[in-house]
Amino acid sequence: MTVSFERAVALPAPGRLARAVSKGRWRNRVAPFAYLAPAMLLLGLFTYWPLLYTFVLSFFRWNLVSPDMQFVGIDNFTGLSDSPMFDAAMRNTAFYVLGSIPLKVLLPIPIAAFLWAMGGGRSFAYKTILFLPTILSFVVVSLVWMYLLNPIVGLTQAVLGSVGIRLPSLLGDSDTALWTILGISTWKIIGFNTILYLAGLASINRDLLDAMRLDGARDSQVFRFLVWPLLTPTTLFVLVATVIFSLQQVFTPIDILTRGGPANATTNLFHMVYIYTFESFNVGLGAAGTTFLFLLILLVTVVKLKLLERWVHYQ
Amino acid sequence: MSRAALHLGPVTRLVGELFVLLACASILVPLLVMLGTAFKPNAEMYSPAPWPLNPTLENFERLFDQLPFALQLFNSSVNAIIRVLGQVFTSVLAAYAFARWRFPGRDILFFAVIGAMMVPHQLTMVPIYLLIVNLGWYDTLAALIVPNLVAPFGIFLLRQHFLSLPRELFDAAAVDGASSLQTLWHVSLPLLKPAIGALAIVFFIESWNEYFWPLLVTETARSATVQMGLRQYIDLESSSDFGPLMAGMLIATLPVLAVFFFFQRQVFETFAQTGLKG
Repeated sequence: MTVSFERAVALPAPGRLARAVSKGRWRNRVAPFAYLAPAMLLLGLFTYWPLLYTFVLSFFRWNLVSPDMQFVGIDNFTGLSDSPMFDAAMRNTAFYVLGSIPLKVLLPIPIAAFLWAMGGGRSFAYKTILFLPTILSFVVVSLVWMYLLNPIVGLTQAVLGSVGIRLPSLLGDSDTALWTILGISTWKIIGFNTILYLAGLASINRDLLDAMRLDGARDSQVFRFLVWPLLTPTTLFVLVATVIFSLQQVFTPIDILTRGGPANATTNLFHMVYIYTFESFNVGLGAAGTTFLFLLILLVTVVKLKLLERWVHYQ
Repeated sequence: MSRAALHLGPVTRLVGELFVLLACASILVPLLVMLGTAFKPNAEMYSPAPWPLNPTLENFERLFDQLPFALQLFNSSVNAIIRVLGQVFTSVLAAYAFARWRFPGRDILFFAVIGAMMVPHQLTMVPIYLLIVNLGWYDTLAALIVPNLVAPFGIFLLRQHFLSLPRELFDAAAVDGASSLQTLWHVSLPLLKPAIGALAIVFFIESWNEYFWPLLVTETARSATVQMGLRQYIDLESSSDFGPLMAGMLIATLPVLAVFFFFQRQVFETFAQTGLKG
């Protein structure tokens, strides 16, 4: 900091100066906390305290309403691993996450690469259309598909029925319901991931591309040797973001379309925790499941934060 | 995306264009079906045509008869607007503090903010539910709004923006005798207006579309948001009556669509960054 000469002469007498400086220091010491207080108090009260309390609850047996809470040690965790719903939720969660990789992580890459190569107003229009499901609520998205796939009054049935084909109940059959929810969540997220890839592609230096062209490289070679390698950090990032989305956000279509059924065929860990807590009123089991989920998310997030540092620089 | 198009081989161009067109059609068709069905009279509900032959508003009338949908729209609007204002307010203040000062505990507190980004509401639902009930807020607007007046992602993103401002700005303002609040208001905020605006838009869309929180803290039709209203509609006995449902979905979608089309560029940019969120 530079202090101009005029200011220096205008400074107050030494005693007052010392007081002014120390007052300023005190202010500077308190100021950051004053600015942080609203955000931190809210986070403490509505995020961190409830999180801690959930860990505590995972060691108790409780039905949410009775005053009687019983300490049961790790019984909830063993109970959880013995429960058939937990098995189903684990299996389905793995399915949602693994199924997401080809559909939500890989499929948008050629779309984004093509839009990037195409450029101009038409590609912007395509991008806008692809992005629409991202801004719609997941409730609306789920309900549109609920109508389209309804085997009795749905529109697809009306169309197929006119040529004599019967639409099976995709959401009512435990073999197809899981795939259907995976498909709907793909529909919801594909445009969002395309935007992430386009942001990654925007940073590719086009001179490299021109050079490859001059050397006679074909489209497939440009993709293979330039676009794909330079897109790797973005791909990893999209992968992690999609894993989190697929763990967490599919709660909405599950809850709206199947409530986890038929016979737990579509439930996932998040939905299981909700059912245990607010439908079975087994708070301890729900809290144990939550603790397990928390550790799972922690793991994914550590990976994500590593990638995040790179991504933010990137932008 | 305004740069010149690359020269593509004819096969790539054909396959790519077809593929993208197919993807766009798969998105537009369901949305047009929603639009068309909302205006279909009852007599046409079983017809395979996605479009109504005799458009009618009767679905909208039936929707408003069966649910307090106007009140739910009001709830959603108040909830979204107050939340956005609150989230921007708390985020700006906290982000400013993190970016401007070095103070004991800063890194731990910032880590706590990042950590909160990865805690979805489902992980804290029981204590939150109990807290809301004990505060006497269950099934009220306060329950929807107050706990959500902070958005860790906003703090994270705005801190980046504050850090990108030249440090000399703060110093110059301090030399001129500006208080920290004056510096924030007169020096930093005017420069960050675009970033804050874009963030507010994303906050609005998120809060309007939210599902889990209102599911947790509201119950009756009169305190529900529109998304909950739609859920309540499918629980009614008439749930196979899709006309009013589509009408409600259309209304529930219009505000976010409007925001999206007005602020398209900001939405794209900021959403690309929200990929960072848990």
